[in-house]
Amino acid sequence: MQSDTQPKKKNSTSQIILLISVGILSLVVGLWLSQQMLSNNNDSSIPPNLDATVLPNARTLVDFNLSDKNEEIFSPVQLKGQWSFLFFGFTHCPDVCPTALKVMQSVWKTLPTKMGDAGHPKLYFISVDPDRDKPEILKQYVEFFHPEFNGVTGTLDEIDKLTNQIGILYGYDEKEGSNDQEYTVNHSAQIILIDPKGRMRAVISPPHDTKMISSNFQTIRTFYGD
Amino acid sequence: MSLDKLLTRVFFIFSLSTLSLSAVHAASALKIENAWSPEAPPVAKVLAGYMKISNLSNKDIKIKAVKSELFERIEIHITQMKNGMMKMVKQENLNIKAKGHIVLEPGGLHMMLIEKLKPVKAGSVIPLTLSFDNGETVDIHLKVKSSDEPQMKCGSKCGSKCGSN
Repeated sequence: MQSDTQPKKKNSTSQIILLISVGILSLVVGLWLSQQMLSNNNDSSIPPNLDATVLPNARTLVDFNLSDKNEEIFSPVQLKGQWSFLFFGFTHCPDVCPTALKVMQSVWKTLPTKMGDAGHPKLYFISVDPDRDKPEILKQYVEFFHPEFNGVTGTLDEIDKLTNQIGILYGYDEKEGSNDQEYTVNHSAQIILIDPKGRMRAVISPPHDTKMISSNFQTIRTFYGD
Repeated sequence: MSLDKLLTRVFFIFSLSTLSLSAVHAASALKIENAWSPEAPPVAKVLAGYMKISNLSNKDIKIKAVKSELFERIEIHITQMKNGMMKMVKQENLNIKAKGHIVLEPGGLHMMLIEKLKPVKAGSVIPLTLSFDNGETVDIHLKVKSSDEPQMKCGSKCGSKCGSN
């Protein structure tokens, strides 16, 4: 009997050794593979050959409380779940703002109708001129370019909380004459791209061009995933 | 002669007379081409006007004023990048050099049509009267367009060019 069990014991010992080695090997391979995949998808690597400036480390946006065209809350929460484009301006702007929105209207036409997990992106036109741009005016203004475009504004304090985080500048030119409704607003014309986690991911500087924005966006989106 | 042919001829003669009218225009020191305005949201109070203005004479000519019955007033501005912001700078008495031209286009020089008095839709025209310091006044029509996709010609990548006007 003993002579029978001895070889069995030997067998099971070598089986255990084999199992452990396979286990260690798969662990090592697994670690190596995950490292490889992580380094490809790492936050601090960026896709090459883009006109847009991609942030190596996406910046989480916090604590601002604005209103959209339907007078609903626009805060960091609304930026989560899909890619978003932010453009800052004002409706009394004859040249830069309508041109940028027209370009974004064309960008929208180039995007595939079926998109990934995060679905279709959103565009927010954020007015830095809340005295004149009330939500109902913003609604009519942005929907002229696309029914899905949204308009946002709020108090200057809350606007500053957002613009300070993403490096957008704005200021008013001295009001001319007696009519205090007549003034122009100077503002940065960068388009800010926000990822589905609500983080600032890229900055697209003017001059804005449909093909460039569309292809850069799709490259960034493919690179980082939804 | 069929009605079709007759209509074609009438149309041809009509076109010729229109051409000769524009030829009279060209006989002046100024030539204005490709005058257009991008259709803006109905709620927009200000619109832009773009065009090419050529000075065919041997003397510099300045733009004194621009007027339209559809707007309270019209100014000429240039979009410039300054301190990281897009800024509009009013251009008074804008000069067009002898035998030279200026181009008003998105992201650069543009007419700012302020306080719209009547609705302006794509397909319609905005009548403009430009007065120049050589005594000429030129009436033109800005075509209001919706289909054209304006592309910014200026901005950060040509800041110095914008600034030098």
